[in-house]
Amino acid sequence: MKNTYILAIETSCDETSVSIVKNGHEEIATVVLSQIDIHAKFGGVVPETASRNHIENITIVLEEVLSRANMTMEKIDAIAVTYGPGLIGSLLIGVVAAKTLAFIYDKPLVPVHHIAGHIYASNLEKQMQFPLIALVVSGGHTELILMEEDYSFKYIGGTMDDAVGEAYDKVARVLGLSYPGGPHIDKLAHEGKDTYELPLPMDDSSFDFSFSGLKSAVINMVHNEKQRGNEINVANMATSFQNRVVEILTKKTMRALIKHDVNNLILAGGVAANRGLRERFKKLCREKEINLSIPHIKYCTDNAAMIGAAGYYAYKLGRRFGNVLKAKPTDQLN
Amino acid sequence: MKYLFLDTSAFNVNIAVVVDDKIVSSFTVANNQKLSEHIFIYLEDVLNKSRTKINEIDKVFIAQGPGSFTGARVGVTIAKTMAWALNIPIIPVSTLEIYATTKVDSKYVVSFIKDRNDYLYAGIYDTELNIFMEDKYLHLSELLDVLKEIDDYIFVGYDDLDISEEIVIPTIDIMKIIKKHNDDQAVNVHLVKPNYLKKTNAEINLEKENKSD
Repeated sequence: MKNTYILAIETSCDETSVSIVKNGHEEIATVVLSQIDIHAKFGGVVPETASRNHIENITIVLEEVLSRANMTMEKIDAIAVTYGPGLIGSLLIGVVAAKTLAFIYDKPLVPVHHIAGHIYASNLEKQMQFPLIALVVSGGHTELILMEEDYSFKYIGGTMDDAVGEAYDKVARVLGLSYPGGPHIDKLAHEGKDTYELPLPMDDSSFDFSFSGLKSAVINMVHNEKQRGNEINVANMATSFQNRVVEILTKKTMRALIKHDVNNLILAGGVAANRGLRERFKKLCREKEINLSIPHIKYCTDNAAMIGAAGYYAYKLGRRFGNVLKAKPTDQLN
Repeated sequence: MKYLFLDTSAFNVNIAVVVDDKIVSSFTVANNQKLSEHIFIYLEDVLNKSRTKINEIDKVFIAQGPGSFTGARVGVTIAKTMAWALNIPIIPVSTLEIYATTKVDSKYVVSFIKDRNDYLYAGIYDTELNIFMEDKYLHLSELLDVLKEIDDYIFVGYDDLDISEEIVIPTIDIMKIIKKHNDDQAVNVHLVKPNYLKKTNAEINLEKENKSD
């Protein structure tokens, strides 16, 4: 069978990334230019700054990926691009660059949903087995998705307010930890003790999540202790917070697997890099004989290789879009 | 030689294909919210009418702003991706200089685009497009101070300003821009970016915080 090469572009937040992926599972080359240092001084991603940086990076990243792959555009079968969800000004650069390349080289343009990309990151390491449930956790998302076959997505549940990564960043800020806060809390959580009485958020029979209440509980507790002149034990607070997050995520995910009679679980997205979450899922899945797949950390954070993997299956299904494709800051995965 | 001129940075979208120093097809439409959706329809149309394939273009002239941030980004992303892919020279030009190609009887053209609170983007050019005042983001009162140094000028722009002088609507002369900049040294495509002339609010706030510390 002829090989299919997808050139994929991902610019939905603060990473400018381009990748070439073969047959939906083999990464030929990927370049990721992260702007994290630029945004760190602002304490979070500044949308206008992100967009300004994408436009400065885009051709550099394109050139670098072709050079690393030792390929020319002529060998590419289709161009895949993240069209949403994400920051509109950031998505725009990737979408316009992708449309320009599709136009110049007369290649099919395949729009890819960012969450589909996060799930398909798993396929870059091991062929995905269906049916599966994916828990996608990142700075912008907390979603449970059921897939019965390739490129078919059923939304089971998701966050009603803050994404889990967002809650991590906000809690980290209150605890005086630098941006991005997730890794700091994760590290401290392994050093502290679960001493603070925080609520288990949205502990109900649904598959939805809510993290704003938990976040507020931490903020209030820190505030009250300060007023009483007490020092907060940052490590213990990190442990208490992370334990609640991990508990509710694993509890609802494991229940979703049972309800839908699914044996395959994918943990994806930037927060899948969280050690506490990975360890807990590994233990539970071992016990319950669930086939767990957690992509390598480089595929968990935003990258174009995952868009190339998802883009391949979208392309095979005949999903195409003309040059009127637009960036969508919010859009349901389907 | 076949050139593409592309300006999506402000009030109007202007596209032209120039072959051997003549405009063979062109297109103008008011810039709008759907620019990024429609731009390739416009582009394809202009190219088709000139019977030119995109990969026959030898050089691209791109309006880099100031004006609309999103508008400039759409045009600049297309132009730099295209220049990189086709390995052709890219010449960025000022949107205000493009306004200054408007035929007037005065010695100087004060090109401007209004922003908020009496702030504006402005540049002053003579009729040969030589710069008297570089493009700037400034308060109207600062601009009026600069204008005390010269006489025989006229304002060119689409917006109303709180001034007594006449304001002329731009009627741009694309060939004038191309002739002026045709011999410019091509810039490194990777370095081409919109000329925003304005820092982001986040940068301004950070500077304020650092000052007050």
